[in-house]
Amino acid sequence: MRTAPVSPVLSTVFLAVLFPVLLLVAILLGVADLPVADVLDVLLGRGSDNAQLIIGTIRIPRILTGILAGIHFAVAGALLQTVMRNPLADPTVMGISQGATLAVTVFLFFAVYGVSADANTLYALPVAWLPLAGAAGGLAAGAAIYGLSVSRGLNPLRMTLCGIAIGAFLHALAMGLIAGWGSARFEIVLQWLSGSLYARGWEHVLFLLPFTAAGLMALPFLHRSLGLLRFEADVSRSFGLNYSRQFTLALVIACVLAASAVGVVGPLIFVGLIVPHLAKVLAGRHFRAVLPLTALIGATLVTGADLAGRLLGGAEEIPIGVVTAFGGAPFLLFLLRRYR
Amino acid sequence: MSAHARSASWFGVLLALAAAVSIAALIFGAKPMTISQALNALLSPRGGTDAIIVWTLRMPRSIAAYLAGAALAVAGYLLQSITRNPLAAPDLTGVTAGSVTFIVASFVFFPTVSSALYPVIGMTGGLAAALLTLWAVRGGQAPPLHLALGGITVALFLNAITTYVLVRGGPQSPSLLFWLSGGFQGRSWSQVAYMLPWTILGIGLALLCHRAISLLSLGDDAAAGMGANPGLWKLLLLMAAICLVAGVTPVSGPVAFVGLAAPHLVRLLRPESARWSILLNIALGGCLLLAADALARSVAAPREIPVSIFTALIGGPLFIYLTQRGAGAGTGGRNR
Repeated sequence: MRTAPVSPVLSTVFLAVLFPVLLLVAILLGVADLPVADVLDVLLGRGSDNAQLIIGTIRIPRILTGILAGIHFAVAGALLQTVMRNPLADPTVMGISQGATLAVTVFLFFAVYGVSADANTLYALPVAWLPLAGAAGGLAAGAAIYGLSVSRGLNPLRMTLCGIAIGAFLHALAMGLIAGWGSARFEIVLQWLSGSLYARGWEHVLFLLPFTAAGLMALPFLHRSLGLLRFEADVSRSFGLNYSRQFTLALVIACVLAASAVGVVGPLIFVGLIVPHLAKVLAGRHFRAVLPLTALIGATLVTGADLAGRLLGGAEEIPIGVVTAFGGAPFLLFLLRRYR
Repeated sequence: MSAHARSASWFGVLLALAAAVSIAALIFGAKPMTISQALNALLSPRGGTDAIIVWTLRMPRSIAAYLAGAALAVAGYLLQSITRNPLAAPDLTGVTAGSVTFIVASFVFFPTVSSALYPVIGMTGGLAAALLTLWAVRGGQAPPLHLALGGITVALFLNAITTYVLVRGGPQSPSLLFWLSGGFQGRSWSQVAYMLPWTILGIGLALLCHRAISLLSLGDDAAAGMGANPGLWKLLLLMAAICLVAGVTPVSGPVAFVGLAAPHLVRLLRPESARWSILLNIALGGCLLLAADALARSVAAPREIPVSIFTALIGGPLFIYLTQRGAGAGTGGRNR
């Protein structure tokens, strides 16, 4: 990457201002027009029941879910890019998201056709279990990729390719299932697939929070080894690093973060890919700042993208996954062209 | 046995296999028949229920599957030859996703457009996606991994758009979903006639250009040294591949992994020349999809299983094996 023309301090200050402003705007604006005074009243603990309902049970948990998911995807992307020594690694490229997709699809399929034979149970879908199924699927995909690669000595390039292959395979299976039984009930999978923060509530925040806390708390311990994992295995071993253990550890954390987030909001394509690069540009020579900046930018980006999707689409909001895909794909293609 | 005779005998074996599978495909299904019943129905097109089942349901469907498999296999072979990359395939370069996105968008947003135009629309989308991928990886000069990454990126991007259009599509979405599942359920003679010209055009073009394919397999410089214009030939062959994909996609929907798997299986048969490669791809690809379709409709009869599940079960492990084997070398594949 080219070195940053902007000063890292300035850009960090800019981010530190932008993030709270975005948060405030995201709380203030929405499809239901609430006067600013009402919203502020709610935030101060007063306000009408209606406003409290909209702000407290719809907007705030949704925004919090977005922030947590953004942190998950961004940090997972940064970890994957570091250990794979590949600037294009990302939970979706590596097949973790596709594992979650397949798991959610299979789960819904069995829930709809296996458990209840009643055709009228349209609203009785066990939606609350979707995050758990998704997370389990993502972890299983990660484990499969690791299992296929570990026997050949953890070669990062081979692992990336293996991830792509497994991702394409699982995607084909999931698509076959979704489309083959394309009844109206599978609309919920479609919506989940396009990556959406629609109707995400406090239970989703509570589901994500333990993973976020565990993942972020593990990061300081990984800090030194992450610096060394960027080198070839032999080089990092010569610095005294237990390569395979640290590699596995970083991978497991990335997998857990990505899989839990995919389970809740669906695959937010390209967030994990772009954010670490932005963070590197902003951090410049301050290597220590990269991971914290990654988390901050991830949260900001998802909040902003969700706000854009909510406002631009009107009553039928644009799923956030589509917004990030529109922004992210051109970025990735340019990156690919520059990277030899 | 000479290389020529070996290729010819493999071709014969594959055709015989396809014939056997298609006879079996006439027998199995939601209404099982005996061989004599099926043959009787086959010989008397106007006689009773069995004849209707055979002539209007099972036979056109089998022919459509065979044509689609042949077209996808040749398309994959052409893409792998052009890019000299073993990981190139219609689904991995974004070509299929491009066709699908354009067709879905025109179906939802411009419902008045005639379905006869869908191959042209699909071609536009496929070409746009292929050019985008090739631009990002500098015309396939980059290592195989990059082509796969670029293609996956383009495909993910286009899939996101398709999903969004489906979510917005409202009442039209279920019929689109049926098509998107990829398969041959309910496809009849009109659909066969619909994809036939595109298939013949693409495969004919490939067969006419078989010398150019052989030259290109030596590398751009060598091909230029022999007096060929590599850029022009590549564009022509790319058009042929996209023509095949775009002609098949409106009928069958996206079918995964046939375009990747068939050329690699053909390579194992060590065909004698580029011409035999194409012929063997036709025979093998057709046979593969014919068998997958027969399985798809008879394993859980009367319910249909999407054919992509079977092609993914065949092609997916092969793909994983290829990436495991090829990652270290990082070179293009042999192009036979």
